[in-house]
Amino acid sequence: MTSSYRLGIDIGGTFSDFAVVDGADGAVRVGKVLTSAHAPEESVMRGIDDLSAGIPGLLGRTCEVIHATTLVTNTILERKGAKTGLLTTEGFRDILELAREVRYDIYDMFIRLPEPMVPRRLRLGVPERVLADGTVLVPLDEAAVRQAAAVFRDEGVGAVAVSFLHSYRNGAHERRAAEILRETLPGVTLSLSHEVHPEPKEYERTSTTVLDAYVKAVAEGYLERLADGLAGRGYRERLFIMLSNGGTATVETAKQVPVQIVESGPAAGVEAAACFGRLAGIDSLLSFDMGGTTAKLCIIENGRAARTRTYEVDRAHRFKSGSGLPAAVPVYDLLEIGAGGGSIARVDDLGLIQVGPDSAGSAPGPACYGLGGAAPTVTDADLVLGYLNPDYFLGGRMALDRAAAERAVEEHLASKTGLTVLEAAAGVHEIVNENMAAAAQVYAAEKGKAPSELAMVAFGGAGPVHAAGLARKLGCPRLVIPPHSGVMSSLGLLAAPVAFERSRAVRRILKAMDLAAVEAGFRELETEVRELMPDGAAPIVRRSVDLRYSGQDYPLEIEVAGPCGTPSTKRDWEARFEALYRSLYGKVDDDNPVELASIRVHVSQPPPAFEIARPPAEADAPPKAWREVHVPAGSGMERAPVYERAALRIGQEIAGPAVIEERESTTVIGPGDRLRVDPLGCLVVDLVIRRPAAADSGAGEVPVSATFARR
Amino acid sequence: MQLDPVTIQILWNRLITIVDEAATGLMRTAYTPSVKEYHDFCCALFDADARMLSHSTVTTAGFLGIVPEVLRNFIAKYPPETLRPGDAIITNDPWIASGHLIDISIAAPIFHGGRIVGYTLCIVHHLDMGGRMSTLESKDMYEEGLKIPILKLFDEGRLNETVFDFMRANIRVPDKVLGDVRAQLVANNVCSRGLKGLLEEYRLDGLEALGAEVIHRTESSLRRRIAALPDGSYRNVAVLPKVPGCEDEVVVRIQVTVEGDGVAVDYSGSSGEVGAAINCSYNMTRSYTAYPIKLALDPHVPNNDGGLRPIRVIAPEGTIVNSRPPAATWGRTMISHLFPEIVFATMEAVMPESILASNGGSPANEVYLHGRHRDGRSFLAIAQHSGGFGASARHDGYPCLCFPNNTRNIPVEVTENEARMYYVRKELLADSGGPGRNRGGLGQEIEFAILDGGAEPARDVESSVRLSGRTEDGPFPVFGRLGGRNGRGSGLWHNGEPVDHGVYRRLAPGDRMRFVLSGGGGYGDPFEREPERVLADVEQGYVSVERAGEDYGVVVDEAAMTVDAGATRRRRDRRRQQPEAPAHRSPIRSG
Repeated sequence: MTSSYRLGIDIGGTFSDFAVVDGADGAVRVGKVLTSAHAPEESVMRGIDDLSAGIPGLLGRTCEVIHATTLVTNTILERKGAKTGLLTTEGFRDILELAREVRYDIYDMFIRLPEPMVPRRLRLGVPERVLADGTVLVPLDEAAVRQAAAVFRDEGVGAVAVSFLHSYRNGAHERRAAEILRETLPGVTLSLSHEVHPEPKEYERTSTTVLDAYVKAVAEGYLERLADGLAGRGYRERLFIMLSNGGTATVETAKQVPVQIVESGPAAGVEAAACFGRLAGIDSLLSFDMGGTTAKLCIIENGRAARTRTYEVDRAHRFKSGSGLPAAVPVYDLLEIGAGGGSIARVDDLGLIQVGPDSAGSAPGPACYGLGGAAPTVTDADLVLGYLNPDYFLGGRMALDRAAAERAVEEHLASKTGLTVLEAAAGVHEIVNENMAAAAQVYAAEKGKAPSELAMVAFGGAGPVHAAGLARKLGCPRLVIPPHSGVMSSLGLLAAPVAFERSRAVRRILKAMDLAAVEAGFRELETEVRELMPDGAAPIVRRSVDLRYSGQDYPLEIEVAGPCGTPSTKRDWEARFEALYRSLYGKVDDDNPVELASIRVHVSQPPPAFEIARPPAEADAPPKAWREVHVPAGSGMERAPVYERAALRIGQEIAGPAVIEERESTTVIGPGDRLRVDPLGCLVVDLVIRRPAAADSGAGEVPVSATFARR
Repeated sequence: MQLDPVTIQILWNRLITIVDEAATGLMRTAYTPSVKEYHDFCCALFDADARMLSHSTVTTAGFLGIVPEVLRNFIAKYPPETLRPGDAIITNDPWIASGHLIDISIAAPIFHGGRIVGYTLCIVHHLDMGGRMSTLESKDMYEEGLKIPILKLFDEGRLNETVFDFMRANIRVPDKVLGDVRAQLVANNVCSRGLKGLLEEYRLDGLEALGAEVIHRTESSLRRRIAALPDGSYRNVAVLPKVPGCEDEVVVRIQVTVEGDGVAVDYSGSSGEVGAAINCSYNMTRSYTAYPIKLALDPHVPNNDGGLRPIRVIAPEGTIVNSRPPAATWGRTMISHLFPEIVFATMEAVMPESILASNGGSPANEVYLHGRHRDGRSFLAIAQHSGGFGASARHDGYPCLCFPNNTRNIPVEVTENEARMYYVRKELLADSGGPGRNRGGLGQEIEFAILDGGAEPARDVESSVRLSGRTEDGPFPVFGRLGGRNGRGSGLWHNGEPVDHGVYRRLAPGDRMRFVLSGGGGYGDPFEREPERVLADVEQGYVSVERAGEDYGVVVDEAAMTVDAGATRRRRDRRRQQPEAPAHRSPIRSG
């Protein structure tokens, strides 16, 4: 027996998904079990037992297990972490509660904010002070640390976060305080701010460190039980955990700074989208995952997803930035919007239709579920519009009540706006798409990307229903619906190439720099990352530089070829930076010097290969039915063919309007759209879009020209 | 194109998205913490008739009512027929724009299909504009820095270089300020691009129909809310805190008249201009007068020109609420930040559920630091800290939350990296929240010290710390509402000695400045606050055992950390039989 299987396990809030790839032939098998909220590791064992029925001795024959989990997020959301104390510089214990002192909604006097994770009586300051340049102004008062430890012990604290000012520049005081706490509080977990998030801005760093301390014991316990359970079933290799930025870490590393895995599950979804994009030959794409309550979007450029360190957990106002607790860890920069199949539609005081962000969820659910929900939802609208098949929802396991959906739309929307039921339903569909599009526009702008240059990869229950409409609004020319969308994230775990990134801050004016030193820096980073790769790997190494005008905060990342050091290198980097800057911000010809903010090395293995078994089909599958579907901008309902996805032949082409049904979702394409089935089983749709004029066409724009040059 | 409810909703969202994208471009390309961290700016989009259709959701409240007037003033000087693609207009004139010289407004026409379809405007509070900097001492505008009249900064794409030469010659940190000016141009570029994309996508020739529609909806929504209030006229008089170095007493008289679906706010009878830098322009007065009405009555409908139309603001020329050139205006928020609570106080009886008690950090704190690093580089740093939020009918006030302007604090570590100083403490102040059934948010105590700067003459740091000027025993404390008590704590100390706020002083290495920002006002009778909520406050150190007894009538056993129910009942009963004299009642109240 060979150890050639690779296993991906993604634990979500409702379902745990499994995917196994046979290294010998790349064949994929998938599985799904309900998640046990109280003991998620038990769901893992159940799922593995299910799969082992088809692959005897599976874990003994597995060379790699990669795991993604929502455990850390849920521990925070449900406030089920350790009782946590916070040790700070004396005089600054309230930083955690003061936050940024700003209202996240300028018109709402009654906003709510999340409770600080550590109450005031467990926030203790000790005399010590490091200055901005890293020098020590006040030495650490060790006796005060011992006194604080005594308070923590009396209070029964299980975890302590240590966050001193400017520790990102000099962490000695934090390290010494940790030594004392370890001595005096055995068994208490510790998180140090200069290790968790070594960057300036004390509130964001403290918040991140506190969240890490809060979840550490829970994460350690779970990961240990999981590793033991896997070992007990014969697994002898290392367990990998997916980080929030799609990187992988050993379980030991993940336990050290568990806040890093706060967005582990969604990251796996992004990896899956990137993988299918790559397989479909698309490098730059917008991943779009729409479920029951939320939609998640993520930009993937040149095969890599956008990342950020401004993530927030537990937002008091779910979709307003600034209303949550900052967790400044590297995460995929996902956009989460309160738009899903369960989003409720209503008419507001102004007589306008509003959709979401609140969701009917699964109970009472959309009106058409017949489970007591009376309010019209996006799913109800989609049913009225003919996009969903009332007899084939979840493969027919759940019948939908179309009359109930129409009643809900009539009563709550049509009668109040003077629209017909069909117009109102079309409005709901259009508005939820527009809500997503509007948020996606800002998100894309923040990333400095134009959606019109991206293809969309859509998944999740409601994703393929809304993808064509959303993609059209954003100007995305092409849409890809991968197979197995119901277990996309677990596949993503296996699809993710093992990858690591290391960066080094430079912060020097490029013109004045010695490039030999930069080249040496790149080489050192390359040596570091190569050591992280498994033996025998043939890694792909990429270099990039973060450039900005000296004095700005936000750099732009430019991928560069090595080695650097020729006279043209600086000119080339500056020219490419200026071109990118101009394409994002218009012509501003800044006269400040260009600064090299940091250098970055990214190393990855070639993406692992796998194949999705597909039934052979010799001829194009004919439509299994025809039904009336709503065609936007057309004359209302139109007869359109309905196809069974599993029956489609590789290479088959379908012209819109058309509906393609599968167990977990339904793909809808419009008039003029052209769909074909690629060799992997992805549905690839070329969309008819109205392309806005090129962004920077000039007329009316202020060409802020070279006239800024200093003289 | 037909504007049905669905299309309007979609396009309205898009108008807001466009200015938010502009704001993102501004923050991404800015050079100073004033923009990057502090967020003292506004981006706005207008139709061809110069009506404001949307403003950025990240902004400060003071700009909301000002922005439409700025563009109208620009157009009055440069009518549309005189504008060409590639033009940009600039000013920092306090009376034309946003009330003090430190704010620069830059606008540009948006051309599409050969005609002007709209305008984009970006206002930024800059780090420096020359002059005496942040001080209340200036007697007139000429002391306060460089004034840029309305000028074309760009004429068909060509820079009016004179403007930049003048600026460069007059300000202390020209690279940073001109860097932020460029970021404003980025914001306008991004806004123009966004609007043109929208017009293309929806095949619109212009914004006339859409603009009329969204303005109408915002206006009629607010009018409906106003109409639901009883008609009537409500008066108030507020004697404001004394301004250091200014002998004049400043009195604001207000009469709020609700009639049908409109409100008139009349400031006639208010004090005249003063020889201190606190004079408000009419625009500023109008902005902070309309803001609380929108907040209280109709917060959830997006704002635009329509949000200002139902509110008429009458302010006689030559008064402190409608000053004339060359009055000094630097610290005009010393007056204007108080309008929201003066309006709330005046309307307390009419809409008690929709108001806040006073904010302990209003008028806003501002700290300036100017000097040289040891290596000779000059620095100019700004910081702001907030006081306790006012309590409301619904909630306790949050500690240290900004109102009404809504700027973010600049992190301790950012300021310490900018300037040669360090903070000694920044901590909540126990017992500072005004007692009430709902308690006011806690204020904070801040202290900073100057670091060694090496040799003369660069060793000293010039600094001003501006506070609200409100004190517990002064004419204008941090008021509680509906029986809630006033917020507590105030003052500024230089090396332990109490000193005037809002003026510049030279600080030597080792010098310490300490100041206290008050807690927010309480709401409702504190003796009605549930004893367990008082106990929870004691447990966290928000309220002391002593004040729990005196202010709330709740007797806490400190050792056991429990409420003594019997003693509490007796104490509260005793108070009920002998109601206190209403000494805590606000001198500004409805009447």
